[in-house]
This record gives sequence, structure tokens and C-alpha cells, in this order.
Amino acid sequence: MIHRECGVLKTTYEADMALYPLPIARWTVAALAVLFFLVLPFSVHEYYLSIVNLIAIAVVGALGLNILVGSTGQISIGHGAFMSVGAYTAANFAVRLGAPFWLALPLGGAMAALVGAVVGIPSLRIKGLYLAIATLAGQLIIEWTINHVTWISGGVQASIEMPRPAFLGVEIASQRGMYFFLMFFVVLAVVGTLNLLRSRIGRAFIAIRDHDIAAEIIGINIFRYKLLAFAISSFYAGVTGVLYTYYLGIANYEQFQITVSIDYLAMIIIGGLGSVLGAIFGAIFVTLLPIVIRYAMEALGGLVFSQASVLNIIPNLRLILFGTLIVFFLVVEPEGLNRLWRNIRNYFRVWPFAY
Amino acid sequence: MVEWQFTLLLLSNGLLIGLMYSLIALGFVLVYKATDAINFAQGEFVMIAGFVVAVALGAYGAPLWLAVPLGLAAMVAFGFGLERVMLRRLIGRPIIAVVMATIGLAAILRGVGPLTWGAETKPLVLPISDEPFILGPLFVPPIQLLGASVSIVFLGVFGWFFLKSRKGIAMRAIADSQQVAMAMGINVERYFALAWAMTGVVSALGGVIWGSMLGVDVHLSLVGFKVFPVVILGGLDSIPGAILGGLIVGVVENVAAGYVDPYVGGGTKDFAPYVLMILALMIRPYGIFGKRIIERV
Amino acid sequence: MRRSFPLLLGLAVAVWTTHASVAPAAASHEIVMGFLCDRTGATQTVGVNMCPGAQDYVRLVNAKGGVEGHRIRLIEIDHEYKVPPAVEAYERYKKEGAVVIAVYGTPIVYALTQRLTEDRIPGTTPGFGRGDATDGTRYPYIFPIAATYWSQGAAAVDFARQQLGGLKGKKIAYLFYDNPAGREPIPVVEELSTKEGFQLKTFAVPPPGVEMGAQVLDIAQRYHADFVIAHLFGRSPSVSIKELKRVGYPLRKVVSFVWGSAEADVEAAGGWPAAEGYHVMQFAGVGTDYPVLNEIREMYKKEGQPAPKEMTSTVYYNRGVVWAAVQVEAVRNAIRAKPDGRITGEDVKKGFEKIANFTLGGLVPPLKITPNDHEGGGLVQIYQVKGGKFARETDWFSAYNDVVAKHIKEAGAKK
Repeated sequence: MIHRECGVLKTTYEADMALYPLPIARWTVAALAVLFFLVLPFSVHEYYLSIVNLIAIAVVGALGLNILVGSTGQISIGHGAFMSVGAYTAANFAVRLGAPFWLALPLGGAMAALVGAVVGIPSLRIKGLYLAIATLAGQLIIEWTINHVTWISGGVQASIEMPRPAFLGVEIASQRGMYFFLMFFVVLAVVGTLNLLRSRIGRAFIAIRDHDIAAEIIGINIFRYKLLAFAISSFYAGVTGVLYTYYLGIANYEQFQITVSIDYLAMIIIGGLGSVLGAIFGAIFVTLLPIVIRYAMEALGGLVFSQASVLNIIPNLRLILFGTLIVFFLVVEPEGLNRLWRNIRNYFRVWPFAY
Repeated sequence: MVEWQFTLLLLSNGLLIGLMYSLIALGFVLVYKATDAINFAQGEFVMIAGFVVAVALGAYGAPLWLAVPLGLAAMVAFGFGLERVMLRRLIGRPIIAVVMATIGLAAILRGVGPLTWGAETKPLVLPISDEPFILGPLFVPPIQLLGASVSIVFLGVFGWFFLKSRKGIAMRAIADSQQVAMAMGINVERYFALAWAMTGVVSALGGVIWGSMLGVDVHLSLVGFKVFPVVILGGLDSIPGAILGGLIVGVVENVAAGYVDPYVGGGTKDFAPYVLMILALMIRPYGIFGKRIIERV
Repeated sequence: MRRSFPLLLGLAVAVWTTHASVAPAAASHEIVMGFLCDRTGATQTVGVNMCPGAQDYVRLVNAKGGVEGHRIRLIEIDHEYKVPPAVEAYERYKKEGAVVIAVYGTPIVYALTQRLTEDRIPGTTPGFGRGDATDGTRYPYIFPIAATYWSQGAAAVDFARQQLGGLKGKKIAYLFYDNPAGREPIPVVEELSTKEGFQLKTFAVPPPGVEMGAQVLDIAQRYHADFVIAHLFGRSPSVSIKELKRVGYPLRKVVSFVWGSAEADVEAAGGWPAAEGYHVMQFAGVGTDYPVLNEIREMYKKEGQPAPKEMTSTVYYNRGVVWAAVQVEAVRNAIRAKPDGRITGEDVKKGFEKIANFTLGGLVPPLKITPNDHEGGGLVQIYQVKGGKFARETDWFSAYNDVVAKHIKEAGAKK
């Protein structure tokens, strides 16, 4: 990721597909591991860890959505609802049957995968706009169902209080504890996605995205792989929902409305469609954007505007910037932050000898 | 009241409100028909138009005959500008790019509207009474009648425009094939701008009528959600489809609320059209009047 | 790129230093109060008028020398009615040492309940649901401080009883926004219908609630309701006024819960004459004629500024004032116990539980918050649209306290 190599010297497919293309990549990963598991959690205030935790949850969801949208070329405006499916499944298992997190979490993901595959069925017949609207309908129908079936939602208030996750009998409650809990799943999700995309399945996804008819001709079962893409992507979404539920201690359907679906789409577009690093960048960016704007405006806005209007300007400015960034990246830099990152890296790769 | 009269009232109410949905959907269809672009910000267009007219009426005390044309002019200019700045650059890009760009645009408009004109609800009072007309067993609110007539007038005008006028025929040619149209000497970009300006006109009137129903604030943009079942049912590129889709959605909603809700114990009104839409997508994805060239997989 | 780097660095340093210069002030006597708000999300029309009320009240308190000599720093953070930003904001409040947090928004209340309890920071949630949080023994750090939806439901039924002169055999329609908050009062109202012997039918208005012709038609022409209790949000209250009028239903037989009861709802429905007769329920005083509001106007005058335009929306603005005032009062009680001002969330919790007879010249209901009752009695007032303004119909009252208490107890036993 951060390393510089001096040329493409690969001679086998194995080398080309390797997770660590160069020995130095191992060191980079090791350094990142030390940073994220030893340095960061013990050196910063819990407040900053709480932001990292929110990012961590978003990373899992963005990675999942990116598999569907970025890698397979399908579209879903229903991921918020898939998250709620995961959240309520896990909450019901945890509360009614006392399932521990290592059981509730995959169950939530699996249920979301199932529902996601069902919502994805129209993708076999339709695509593009029609699929977007079909998944939008999926979002609304799932919301409605959870809202009205008290057997799922646990009462008219449609919220289920979730016990804290426990690891080896110790309850994880502090932000720091949560940090390790969430990071574990982030690592799992990142490694899982990297491996998925270089496997047979991942390459089939990419083939479908690039040209579905050509993909079918070379023997890819489009029916199976499209549903698989929906299922895998929804599994990630479901896990995201479960992580939210554990993090907040409650499953509440209003946490997973359509704005959430849109936020996640924004993440992968700003980050860069189809790239793992892009999804991570996007999750970081979209989560941090409002926080940074607020700090900047709190510090500097008072110089220009009155205190009362600053409070009105901050949130509206955030909305405007959020929208502008989406449009900007789509119009100017469709490959998103990931592309910017690559540009910077390529610049330094040969630096200081530009040619 | 006897049951048949109640049913009749439900139906008439559904038809009228359906035509008001059609008015919003028309803007969506116009753009799709001419430019293949999908506008997820249709509700926000309506909201902005509502803001302009309501503020002109309320804060500046403009008379109605000035405020409404002002709203129209603003939305036409907005449509032109938007096409120039943003949408032109997205021509030929994957559908998700356009969808997301208009979603981003929606966020911008939801920020700009309240920031410029204030977030509090503004009344948009039209000089028409709230008292319904009584027509035999039916009673019809004037505002819905106005909305319905505007929709029907637009149906006529745009129908004529696309069938008979030179510009309309050019637009249909562009919709068929941009390359061929270009080769025939049609200035494609100009017509794209025209299509967005036409959407601006429809949105402006939608904003006036819905704004006077609901009051103008950010919630006005929620009417945009009504568009999707309407256009899918009617056919994305069909103006009569938008009208018929609106009528179907209006009637289905009202019948669902009147006869299904009591059994389900919840509101099925906004949910039923989406279920219907999913069925339509499975059976007849191009809609009732849509062109049959939907890209199948 | 390279040229802009020093500029960016400079900006970052500037942000950091200005920010840092604010931070140390929190050291000794400053009381930090968190205030979540929504000025851009689903409830922005409420937030833009309510939050300035809270801001102005705290400014007034500070202008008068603070609480027992200690200044209050109110940190307002907008969360766009979304949970993740609210969680971030909450953690920031915690870092800044907030001793009480105003929790705005039903989903946010649910999302933060566990953390508030664990971190022992009281959170106030007036009008944002969680009827069960009235039980202070079960939710020690959640303070509804205003009538919950359960109490509102009970009060609405009682008001219908007064208006109809008895409920036996009458038909009541409950017109509600079809979300958890809208459904919350149903069990209470249902139980009251068996208790009082009236017929109850519920009519759901699904979000976004821009059209409800069929429901209203049903209420007026098929069900022939004797009274309508409406619990709607967003723009749907004004739509309900319009449509009820259209089908010829008299608005004087309608009472709306607290979120369908602002000036904006009446104005958007076609103006005051159009809504003549409509009843609204309030958990804070309505109108401009209160001593504390005069003081705020006076404060602005002294600063040479006109009174803020938010003040004209008296329903929401006054609620903001009340919200902040109750929090300040709890802080005041806490400081009286610990005069050095080094109070914690626990002290403020105890301060809340000492609040009694704090009315702010009639703006605040005569709350009596106890360790068992965090709602403070569930008091509301009913106003009616009359001659271009809200005219007070009833004094502060609550009703069927036994039924509401039973539901609170049941909710506690269920878990």
C-alpha cells in the first residue's frame, strides 16, 4: 500500500494474485497492525476512539456495498434496510435465546444475506434505474415490515435493548473495549474482501460488471453470481447492522432508514468504486466530514457570522458540502479518493526523479 | 353514509390526488424521455420552486400574478444552469453515476433552501377557497381540482409538443438515438437544456400546488417519493403513462387506506403502490405505455 | 499542491489554537451542558425554532451572572436526526465534561439510553417518547421532564370526555403517524376505551404523510367519529386540518398531540381563520406574555439587536426555553448542594429529582420530579385556535394517572 516497487517483475499468476505482492507489503501491514492495535488505542482519548469506532462500523458496510456496486456493477438503495434485518435478527437471538455475539453476529449476517438475495431477484431481469427503484422498494417494504410486525420488532416502539457483547465472560462496554471488538471485524472484513475479489467469485463479479453478456458467454452463471453478489453484500450489511446494535446497545429501526443507504452509497462513490482502499477512504471521509466542518466553523465561523447564525450555517453547510462532494467526485474524479491516493503514490514512487 | 357513496368518494379522491402525483411525475418523465437522465431530486425541485413562490408572496408581498411567473422563471433558469454545470458532464456515464449525482444534488438543495430562505414552514396561500364543491354525492376540494386541471393541461400541451412541434419531434429523435440525431443536424445539447427547463416549469407549478396543500418547508421534497411507483407503472418515458400511473397510484392508495388498513392495523397507503410497482417490474418493467426497449439481462 | 500545503497547515494550526484557547476555560467553574439539535434533518422545522429558545435562555442566565455565580456553556450540536453523528456528539460532550445533555429525537434517545446510564450523565427528552423512561428506578438517567406520549394520550381522552360530557358509547378516532412514536400511546388509549366504555378506531397515516384523504373521509363519513385525537408529525398536521375541514368535520372536535400544535401547522393549513376551533396540546406555555420572554427581549435590546425572529414561533421557541430552564434548574439544585460548582452528572440527577414548584411565571408546568417519577407529573395544557391565536382552554392537568402508571410498571416488568 505505501511501499514503492521498482518495476513489474512477476512471472507467475500466483505472484500476480498474491495478497502481499512484495515482502515490504508484509512490513507495511505489520506496521499498520502495531499502529492500530497497540499505539492508537492506548494513546488517544476515548472520544477519538469513539469516532474511530463509528468509522470502523462504516468501513464494514461500505466494503459490502462496494462488492455489489463497485465490483459487480449492480445497484442497491436498500442497504440500510439490510442492516436493520441483521440488527433485528441478532437482537432477537441475543435477547430471546441469549445468543453470544459470535453466534448472533453471523446469524444476523446470514438473515440479511437471505433477504438481500430475495430483494436482488429483480436484478436478474432488470438493471440500472429499474434495479435502483426495485431496491428502493425493498428498503421501504422491509422498513414497513419491521415497523409493523411486533414479533420481529419487539413491541410498538420497534426497538430491542441489546445486551453488551461479552468476550471470555468479560463485558465489552468502554469505547476502548469496543474499539478492539470492532477492529477485529474490520480486519476480518478487509481481508475477506481482498481475498474474495481475487478469487474465482470476485473475478466473476468483475466480469459481470464489465460486460454481462460477454461474461455469460465465457461461462459465468450470471443468475448465480448476481444473487451471490447481493447475498454477500447484504451479509456485510447485516453484520454492520449487528455491530451498530452492539455498539449502541439497541436495535431501533429508525437508525436504518433510507438516508443510511444514501450515506453508504456516498461513501463508496467518494472513496472510489470497486476498490477496497476506496471503501475505507470513503467511510473515513463521510464520517469525518461533518465533524471537521463543525470544528472548523466553531473555531472560525464566529469571525464572519453571528453566533446564532453559525449554529444554522454549520448543519446546512454540511449538507451542501456533502452533496457537492458527491457531485464533484462523480463529475471530476469518478474513481474517487482512491484515485487521488494513487496519484500521490505514483508521484512519490519515482520521486525525486520525475522521469 | 352508505357504503357505495364512501367507495365513490374514495375513488374520486384517489383520482384527483393521483393527477396531482402525475404533475410531479411529469417532470421526471420529461427529463428521462429526452435525456435518459434519472432525476432523484424531483421532490427537491418542487421544494425549491415552492420556496421561491412562498417567499415572494410572503416575505416580499408580491402579488400572485408576479410570484408564480417568478417561480417559473427561476426554475427554468435553474434547469438550464443545472444542465450546463452538472448534467452535461454526466452524459454517457453509467446510470448509477447520474442517480447518485442527482441524490447529491438533492442534498445540496435541501441545504440551500433552508439556508437561503429559512427552515421554518411558510404558508403559500392561493386565492382559492378551501370549501369543497359539492357535485352530487361527491365533494371536490378546489386545490385538487386545480392540480388535476394543470396536469391535464400539461398532458395536452406536452402531448401536442412531442407529436406535432418541430422541437418535440427533434427531442423524440434524440431520445431514439443521440448519434443519429446529431448526424441529422440536431443540436443535442440545446435540447437537453430545453428538457431540463421544461422540467423546471412543471416542477414550479407542482411546487405552487403542493406547496399550497402542505405549506413550504423541507418536507415538501417528500412528495418526490411518490414519483417512482407512478413512473414505473405508467412507463418511464411516457407522458400519458405518468397520468395513468398517477391515477392508479392515487386510487390504489385510497382503496388500501379505506379497505386494507383496518385489517392490517397499519398504514398501507404509501406501501401498497411500491408492492404494486414490484409486481409491475416483474411482469411488465417498461410500464403500461413505456417503450419496450428496456435493457433486459 | 505543494504550494497549498503550508496554507493548509496554517489553517490547521489556526483551528487547533483557537480551539485550544477555548478548552482550558472548562477547568474550574464552567458548567458544560450538551444540547443535541436537528436543524437539517427530518424534524428541522421544529429544531430551528426550539434550539434558539434554549440558547437564548442560557445566554440570559449567563448575562445575569450564571447559576449561583457559575457560568454555563451550552454546546449545541446538530445531528441531522441521524444516530452516528449523535453518538459522536455524545462522546464529545462526555469529553468536555457535560453534566447534563438534552437528547433531541426519538431514535437518538433510544441509541443513547444505555450510554447515558453507564456514564451517569442525565439526559432530558421532552416530547421524544420513551413513556417507560418515566420510571426513574429503571432508567435513573433519563428524564422525560414533560408529558410522555402515554400521558398525552390519557390527557387527550380526558379532554374528549370533558368536551363530549362523558364518553360512554361515544366514538373516538385516533389518527396517528405510522411510526413507533405514533403508535406508542395506542395501548394506553385502548385500555381507556374499555375502562370508559367508548369505541376506539385507529387510523394510520404512513410517512411521509402528505396525503390522508381516505383516512379523514373514513373518520368523518363512515365511522362518524364524535372526537378525533390526532398524533401527527412533520407536515401531516396541517394536511389533517385541511382535509378534515374538506370533508366537513368540525375542527373543534379535534385535539392534536404536542407535535402537531405549532403556529406553523396552523399557518400552513391555510391560516388562522381556516383552522378556527382546532385544539392543541402543549407541554410548555404558549404566547409571548411571560416574564422570562420579556427578559430575553430586554437582553437583546440592551445588545442593540432586534428580538430574534424565532421568538414569533412561540410554541417551539418556548419549548426550547422550558427545556433549557428545567436543565438549568437541575444544575442550580446540584450547585446548591455543592457550592464550588464542581458538580457531576450524578449531582445533576439528584438536582432534577429535587425540582418542584418551578414554573417560570407559568411557562413551565408545575413539575414535580421525584426519583420514581422522572416525567414530573405528565402535565399538559390544551389551547384552541380562536380569533387568530392560541387561546388557553385548560390549566395544567393530567389524567388517568393510574392507567399510565400501570403501563409504565408493565413495561418495566417485561424486560
